[in-house]
Order: sequence, then C-alpha cells, then structure tokens
Amino acid sequence: MRFSLPSSVSLGLVALLSLSGCGFSGAAGKSSQAADLDQRIVVDNFRAPVADWALESDAAYILSLSGCLETLTRYDESQGKVVPFLATEWKQASALEWDFKIREGVKFQDGTALDAAAVVGSLQNVLDAEVPARAFSRKVVSGVKALDNHTVRVTTPTESPLVPYRLASVNTGVLSPAAFKGETVDPFGHCTGPFKPVSEKPKQSLTLDRNEDYWGGQVKLAGAEIRFITDGATRAAQVQTGEADVSLSIPVSGLAALESDSNVKVLKADSPRTATLYMNNGRAPFDDVDFRKAVRSALDLDALAASVYEGAAIAATGPFAPSEPWAIEGAEAPKQDVEAAKKLLASAGYTADRPLEIVAIVERAEFADVATVIQDNLKAVGVPVKIQTKEYAAVEPDLLSGNYDMVLSQRNRLIDIADPIGFLTADYTCDGTYNLSHFCNADYDKKVAQAAKTADSEERYKLYAEAGRILQDQAVNVWLVNEQAIDAVRTDLQGHVQDPLARYVLRADTAKSGS
Amino acid sequence: MMLFLARRTAALVVAVLLASFVVFLIPYVTPGDPMRKIIRSRVAGDAIDGSAVEALSLQLGLQDPLWTQYLRWLGRFASGDMGLSYTSRTPVVDQVLPALWVTLSLVVLTLAVAALISVVLGITAALNEGRAADKAITAVSQAFIAMPEYWLAPMLVLVFALELSVLPSAGWEGPTSAVLPVAVLALRPASHFTSAVREGMLDALGADHVVAARGRGLSHFHTVRKHVIPNGLLPLTTLVAVWFAGLLGGSVIVEVIFAIPGMGRLLFDGVLNSDIPLAQGAVVVVVGLAVLLTTAADLVHGLLNPQVRMRHA
Repeated sequence: MRFSLPSSVSLGLVALLSLSGCGFSGAAGKSSQAADLDQRIVVDNFRAPVADWALESDAAYILSLSGCLETLTRYDESQGKVVPFLATEWKQASALEWDFKIREGVKFQDGTALDAAAVVGSLQNVLDAEVPARAFSRKVVSGVKALDNHTVRVTTPTESPLVPYRLASVNTGVLSPAAFKGETVDPFGHCTGPFKPVSEKPKQSLTLDRNEDYWGGQVKLAGAEIRFITDGATRAAQVQTGEADVSLSIPVSGLAALESDSNVKVLKADSPRTATLYMNNGRAPFDDVDFRKAVRSALDLDALAASVYEGAAIAATGPFAPSEPWAIEGAEAPKQDVEAAKKLLASAGYTADRPLEIVAIVERAEFADVATVIQDNLKAVGVPVKIQTKEYAAVEPDLLSGNYDMVLSQRNRLIDIADPIGFLTADYTCDGTYNLSHFCNADYDKKVAQAAKTADSEERYKLYAEAGRILQDQAVNVWLVNEQAIDAVRTDLQGHVQDPLARYVLRADTAKSGS
Repeated sequence: MMLFLARRTAALVVAVLLASFVVFLIPYVTPGDPMRKIIRSRVAGDAIDGSAVEALSLQLGLQDPLWTQYLRWLGRFASGDMGLSYTSRTPVVDQVLPALWVTLSLVVLTLAVAALISVVLGITAALNEGRAADKAITAVSQAFIAMPEYWLAPMLVLVFALELSVLPSAGWEGPTSAVLPVAVLALRPASHFTSAVREGMLDALGADHVVAARGRGLSHFHTVRKHVIPNGLLPLTTLVAVWFAGLLGGSVIVEVIFAIPGMGRLLFDGVLNSDIPLAQGAVVVVVGLAVLLTTAADLVHGLLNPQVRMRHA
C-alpha cells in the first residue's frame, strides 16, 4: 500500500488531459524504421529509491527495470515458470539444499568475472540487512556458500521447493564484490546487465549507458534515463509530449487522452492485485458464513468495475486473477442477486441493530467511491453501512487486532516472489502474520502447508487453486475487481514487453527507430 | 540594535527547538506504528514481519524513552551532526543540502519574478487610482490569489508542454524546466505584492513630504521617482521575506507535480515515512532560515525606514 500524493493533483491534470482528448494528440503514424543503435530513451518510473541502493529495498526494482541488476533465475510470465538467468541450471541436492550452477563467461561491468564467491557475497549482503527482504531472509534461507568456482549452495531451514523462485526476486540481484566495499551499496559499474548506470541525480533520475560487453548479446540502445516521477498524471503527460518513451503505472483516469493519441500505445496486463472488501470473520455478524455470502450476493461487481474503475479492471472471480496459473478452474465473478442475499441474511438471523462500518483507506483515492457503491448495494438488502475514510497507518492496529467490520484494501500477491505462497500463508492461515480477515480453517492451512512442500509446480498450483476455492466457498472476503497494470509507450519503441510487476523494462532487445 | 539582534537570536533558538520537538513527536502522536512506517518505506508491501520491527526498533534506539531520544538528537545536532536517515541510512545533511539548493533556486526565482511583476503593476495601479487600469489590475490580482496551484499547474502543463510543446512538463534540468513551476508559484505572491505595493504607493503619494515636494514645484515624475517609489516599496521587503520563509517548505504540491527534488518534498517524505532525523533536519533548516530571513528583512526595513529604527531604539 503506497501513498499517492494529492489525488486531487493527479485528477486535475488527468481531467484536463481527458477533456483535451485528441486535441493534443499528434498525427504521426507508427514507425516502421529499423532500430537506431545510437538512440537513448527515457523511462518514467513511479518511485525513487528510498533506502539508497540497498538491494533488500525497493531500489532493487529500479536497478532491475533499468537493465542493470540481474538475478540467478528469472520468472517468465509467458511460460509461467522460473527460467535460467545468471544461473544456467539448479537442482535440489537434499531436502534442505539447493545447488545453482553459475553461468560461465559473464563479467560484471567493472570487468571482474562473475563466480560463485561473488554471488555468495552479494546474497550474504541481503541476508545480513537490517531489514531483510521477505523473499530472502533468515526466516526462509539459513545460508549460502560456494561449493566450487561456479556452484552456489543455498540452504533452507525447512524443506522448500520455492528456492529458485526466491532467487528470481529482484532483491537477490547480483553485484560485484566492489559494490559492497563502502558504507552503502554502490551499483555503479558493478552490475551484469545490458545497461550500466553512469550517473544519478538523487530523487530525480538514473542515467545508464549500453554495456558493450553484455553476456546476452548486442544491446540495441545507446543508453537510457530512468526518471523518478511520483505523480501519475505527470507520467501520463510526459509520454504524450514525447519527453518519455515509456511511462509506467498510468492512472486509470489518464487513459482516455492516451488512448486517443496515435503516437502512444497503452499496454494493459492483469496485475497480481485484487481490490478486496476484507470482512472481519472473527466478529459478528461476519462470523456467520451466510452473512458473508449475503454481502457477496448483494454487490454488483460488474457495475463497480465499469463505473468506479472506468472499465480498467474486471470483476474478480476470487482471490486470484483468471490469467494466473493457479486460478480456480471454472470460477466466475459472482453476480448480484438481491433476493438470494436477503434469504441468506434471514438464514444468518441478521438484525440490523447497528450500522456496520467500512473503512476506505485514503491512500487509494478510488476506495471512497467503491465504499459508496457497496454502501448503496448493502442498503438495498437491508444492511445499513457507514463509511470511514482513514489513513492506512491509522487503521492498521485495529485491522491486525480484529477491531473492525470491513475494510477496503488490495494486496500484491506476488510481492515477495513469483508465487502466491507468501500471500496465502500470511493473509489466510490461522497463524498468518497479516491475517486481516481473522480467518482460520484447518483444511485451508493443510492445503497451504502441503503446497509449500510440493516441488512440482503443476501440483503446487492445483493446491493453491484448492486453497483458493476454500476461501471462496467460505466467502472469507469479497474479492471485488482484478486491477490491471497500465503502462504507456511511444509507438516508435521496439522490442518492449510489458511486465505487470515492473521488474524488467530495459532489455538488450529494447530499441528505438531513428528520428 | 544589539538588543534587537539578541532578541531575534533567542527567538531563533526557541523556534528551532520547538519545531524540532514538534516534528520529533509527529510519528508518535499520529496513528500507526512508526516502526512499521519506516519498514514499509524500505520494503514494499504490508505484511511486515514482527521480528523485523523489533530488531530495527532496537537498532535505531527507538525503544528508549522519548526524552532520551530527543536529547540524543539534540546533542548530536549541537555538534553539527544531523544524524542518519532512518530509511536510507545515509547522512541527513547529504539529502538536506541538495534539496535546499534546489528550493532556494526555485524560491529566489519565484520571488524575483513576483516582485518584478508587482512593482510594475502596483505602481501602475497606484498612479491610476480609480481608473480602468487600477480596477483591472486589482481584479486580476484578486483572481490570481484565489487560483489554487493544483489547478494552475496542470493548466500550464496542458498549454505549454502538451499543446505548444515549448516547455518541459516536469523535471529540474536547465532554465526551461524552471519556467512553469516558477510561474505557478509566483502568481499568488505577485498578487499579494501588487496589492501591497499599490497601498504603499498610495500612502506615500498622500504623505506630507510628497505634497510639500510637489508644492515646491518638483515635477510629478521626479516626485514619484525620488519620494514616492522608495517609500511605496518598503512593505515589499517584509512581504518578500515572509513569502520566502513560507515557500521554503511550502511548495510541496508544485514540487510533486513538476518532479522537483526540493525541501517541501523532502520534508513530506520524511514525515510520511516516520523518518524522524530527516524530517527534523529539514524542519530545522527551514525554520532557521525563516527566522534569519525575517530578521534580515526587519533590519533592512529599519535601515530604510527611520520610523522603524526609532521604534526599535
């Protein structure tokens, strides 16, 4: 959950852009020219590094999307599995040990060779961090060591099939030993990727040049600049003016103007975020499954997606997006059924003796509107609701302690690793550290525990789907809409592949035609 | 004069101490756990490990009583050390100084533009009191005072970046990138300054010594140039100083829209992330500069205006 500064600011510019419509869109057609190896591009990113360049922090995302930082493995969205990157192969050596073969012939941008010792040093730095990354902390990894010059062994405290996934996390990116010699991490010239960072304007931008000796082949851009622009409307404006070639995370309200601009291409992909109406299962009347189902039946999710989200989100079928490999087979978005809701309320013995409260966190501006729609839907079935808007930090203690009725929130299921195990464990198991729903079900816990030990990804995904079905059957929450990751690129950009998690943007193949 | 300076020095110390203490308390008096805010700003997501909260709290010394923490910071600050940022673990001074330089540039440009506009418009309005020019200038000034920055900034981006493509829409690189933010920030002070200059000029025009000068046969032009304008512009010195102080930390909306890495943004991030040393460092610098500037303005005002000198004496 991230604070987005003055939503009124974004809305102001976006509204104006929308009103201007095609009035400001150029008439230039799409470029069919060949890539120009002298071109440089600008990428507008939505965050700046907060914790310097510490790899355990969000800064790792910036270094990764910049084409600087590379990991041992990489999650391939199209294949739905982890594929080789700086490691060529891996195997589970024993229940608690995984061995990774380091790619030979790779050099860091400072000219030193990538070997097992360098990898161990880099990973050890993340493990030793004051606030370690959840993907690679002492809780899930007990140690790393070099077995020989090109083999790294990762040891886990309990058997885990997810170690290759953990090593695809950008937080486990590998830097040369020289990067760790100072007080803070220095990525300049110490990555292995297609682009090497050459200068930084703190809080403003990072400039990168082509890595002429990239192990992955020719790099088609001369360089790039990553700009840190927190205001979504400004990012949208910059790709429209041509000041930026790629703008990440475009606000929904900025779509109309961009979609009508022939020089801009809007890219959308399912994001691993689902806007959710969390219900406090530990407190009446939400402790009755019929009541929770009644709430679900009362809501018109299609109308919600079409109105508040302006069609840039789709009604959710459950805790997962339909495109995810662990999606519940055959699941459909619940349809509004007022009569069914009323019957379920009667069956739950519900009496409207007090208005229920929905907390809409202010960090997500749209949640105030979502709460209003829900309030209206529930009123129609005889459930009075009042809305509170609060900062997330203000409401968090109540959420964790179970002192609330309903809260609107959204979570990134794949925030740690490209696998939902962390989300399913933290959010819904009896001992989950972020179990806002205060849900506890032995069958569910068993499925998740079993999945955590299942190496075969197909089998594991089935178990996730089964766990998801339990959540759905128990109507633990109402999963409202699946959000979409929206990026915008100039049409003369070539070889760009959208990554919904914004980990990979600049790649060796990214190119731009000559002007 | 010495007494005046001594009083202002004492005010400076009290203001800095008070401001730093208030900023120090913000994370503790606002809802939510400061440690979780710090961690959340470093690693994405909400599901925070309780052991990480405890470990970091211990490491940063946040389990100590509040007064111990504050005195520890004060001791370090007295020796010139602003400490390390809780989020980046880099020296606060390394973040404050570049941001201060950016904001100072922005504010100086803004006030220079605002002062220039207001001098021209204020004098014109005063010399044409009650006529169409005066009424038009007054009406436009009032309209600009009411124009919010979050509306004006997108409007200017729309026209000058998107429509005309003559200025960058955001960033802080080179003189052209300063044009739009300066224009947005300058409009309101320019309106206030114009009213003040107009009033000052009208007062000066009616002053006894001006009437006497006219009576001695001095031309209107010379009377205005030598006796009216110098006195009519006096209120501007204090106003510029007050606005200078306000803009140092108060330009956050413009800094966000135009992606400018200035003090407003730094302070905002510091408070948002419970980064107490960063917020304290930024506030102390802003408050210190504000007190120094208003003191300097009062001194200049006193040098230019004998009545003020006599009051202080």
